[in-house]
Amino acid sequence: MKFRTLFMKELREMLSTQTILMMVVSVVILTFAGKAMTNAVEDSAETMMDINICDLDDTEFTRNMIKFMTANITSLGGEVNTVEITSDDYAAELKKADVRNVVIIPAGFTESVENNEAATVRYVQRLNSLATLSNMNTGSQVAVEYLTAAVKQVVYNTKVAGGKLTNGEVSFLNEPIHLEESTVVADKSEDISASVVMSLCSAQGMIVPIMMFVLVMMSSNMILNAVSTEKIDKTLETLLSAPISRLSVIAAKMLSAAVVAAMQAAVYMIGAKSMMNGVLDNVSGNTGYSEALRDLGLTMNASQYVLVGLQMFLSILIALSVSLILGVLARDAKSAQTLTLPIMMCTMIPYMLSMFVDIKTMSPAVKYIVYAIPFTHSFMASENAMFGNTDVYVGGLIYQVIFLAVCMFMALRIFMSDRIFTMTLGGKRSKKAEQ
Amino acid sequence: MENEKVLEVKGLSKQYKKGVYASEKVTFDVHKGEIFALIGPNGAGKTTTIRMISTLLQATEGDALVSGHSILTEPEKVRKCITYLPDEAGAYKNMKGIDYLKFMAELYADNNSQAEEYVKRGREICELGDRLNDKIASYSRGMQRKLLLARAIMSKPDLAILDEPTSGLDIINALEIRRMIKLLASDGMSFLLSSHNMLEIEYVSDRVGIIAKGHLLETGTPAELIDKYKADNLEDVFELVVMKKDITGW
Repeated sequence: MKFRTLFMKELREMLSTQTILMMVVSVVILTFAGKAMTNAVEDSAETMMDINICDLDDTEFTRNMIKFMTANITSLGGEVNTVEITSDDYAAELKKADVRNVVIIPAGFTESVENNEAATVRYVQRLNSLATLSNMNTGSQVAVEYLTAAVKQVVYNTKVAGGKLTNGEVSFLNEPIHLEESTVVADKSEDISASVVMSLCSAQGMIVPIMMFVLVMMSSNMILNAVSTEKIDKTLETLLSAPISRLSVIAAKMLSAAVVAAMQAAVYMIGAKSMMNGVLDNVSGNTGYSEALRDLGLTMNASQYVLVGLQMFLSILIALSVSLILGVLARDAKSAQTLTLPIMMCTMIPYMLSMFVDIKTMSPAVKYIVYAIPFTHSFMASENAMFGNTDVYVGGLIYQVIFLAVCMFMALRIFMSDRIFTMTLGGKRSKKAEQ
Repeated sequence: MENEKVLEVKGLSKQYKKGVYASEKVTFDVHKGEIFALIGPNGAGKTTTIRMISTLLQATEGDALVSGHSILTEPEKVRKCITYLPDEAGAYKNMKGIDYLKFMAELYADNNSQAEEYVKRGREICELGDRLNDKIASYSRGMQRKLLLARAIMSKPDLAILDEPTSGLDIINALEIRRMIKLLASDGMSFLLSSHNMLEIEYVSDRVGIIAKGHLLETGTPAELIDKYKADNLEDVFELVVMKKDITGW
């Protein structure tokens, strides 16, 4: 009986409105992110089996191979599109053909097969994002498998039917196709597999959003606590009745938080840069991958770090100004904690999405909802800088500046008025303040 | 007490919603060296009135002049003439007591030497000795209140506004504070107090204003009010005035 009473009391305290709200919010976030990711995966899955092929050999053998491949792929729900590639400038060629990938059968392919030599096939893929689910395509593997099967079929028909195979013909049959891969990023291309690029960049792709998340949450907590504690402890009343302007009080708070946030952003960016340099030097030191990544523009240079740092700083300033408003709403320490929820939600959604999907390619409705969250643009900043998405970067930057100006204006309005003392969570006036 | 008015409150009102007044047409004066106390039940409008005079809240009607400066048009000049100690106020817990006094002194002083003078006076008033070098977080409630009170009067403002100045203090400390207030008032500093402690008010204040439901119902010296209502003490006067308001709506 006594234990039950104690247990119920503890449970009631722990299962507060705030705890329940956090659970509900988590479910909402995960559901939204899951739905958005499902849509992205479905979109990718629809085109996953599609093969874009360019036949530069153009012999009866290659034409028959493509027919054979087309029949099989179509029966599996995919498509085989023939595209024209006329130069080695794959970035320009993919753009011209309006495709993200292409399998190229080079001139001399048939001749190599006839000479029992491994025939080369090139697979070129454009990377638009480093998000894990944004580059799902099995076209290359499928194409290589079909080409291998077709070559083997020909060899069996012509050679095996003719009698015993030589040693050379047997080893040729083991690996009749030699796959060469190229990756295109923005207007650059390098002879490196897209999957290798993705693996090498995954650390960078993970670190920046994690840093961003931590920074936004830390800085918003910092100012939210600073304002709510002043209000709860009534030091704010003492401060605002001193012979100083309210603008000075708010400016001092914002500036000091911004200085700390800028220091944090700079430290994190320097740390990230040295970490990435270390990763690239150690992992790909002897393979030439490091140079390939640099040539593709996937290792950020100093100016790109500045651009990313700028958007990160703007996000922090936005978080600070929103927190300033939210801090005013706090009635006590518990409500101050609850007030971090909107910021957490607005940070978690783009954080999760940017790690898994290419936000730019999501359905317009979802995309613009996610774009409306100002922190999204900072999560996308490093990718935008590396992939040369200048329009998206600049658009995001302008939006963030406008959002910041609106938030600052609102924060100032609240701070300069009676609302600083009378507003509480839910928009209702504090009864105590009205006494 | 001198005849010079340090505070003139003229029809001061605060309306939160249409027709709902937290404070309505409150009018009273505080003279130089006078201790004026606002007393009233919870939610009577004491804190709202005090906050308006402290320029924290904006009055919807009326005005108040502090040393001749309007709270509506010259709030920064008003803040230069007053100090405000809110009820249950706290201090920055991570600061040392001495640093808190320095911080506040620098906000009120015009130069370094004046700030140093304020801090020196603050040290003397709070009587915390070496404990001033400890963090405020380690202070008892009484010590913290003494520090805050020292902060409020170290700059010798024209008007010190103290909301429940002795709340949370033990009898000895409360007595000390009351004596200090009387001493400073005799030296020319004016006080606007708010308190629930009728004995304290009766002992310390020169004049009293009884406020209920946003209206200032009575003003006068404790002796005048006790005589007027034929009561034994200020507590009885308070009860009679507030009950009369409740019954008659006056």
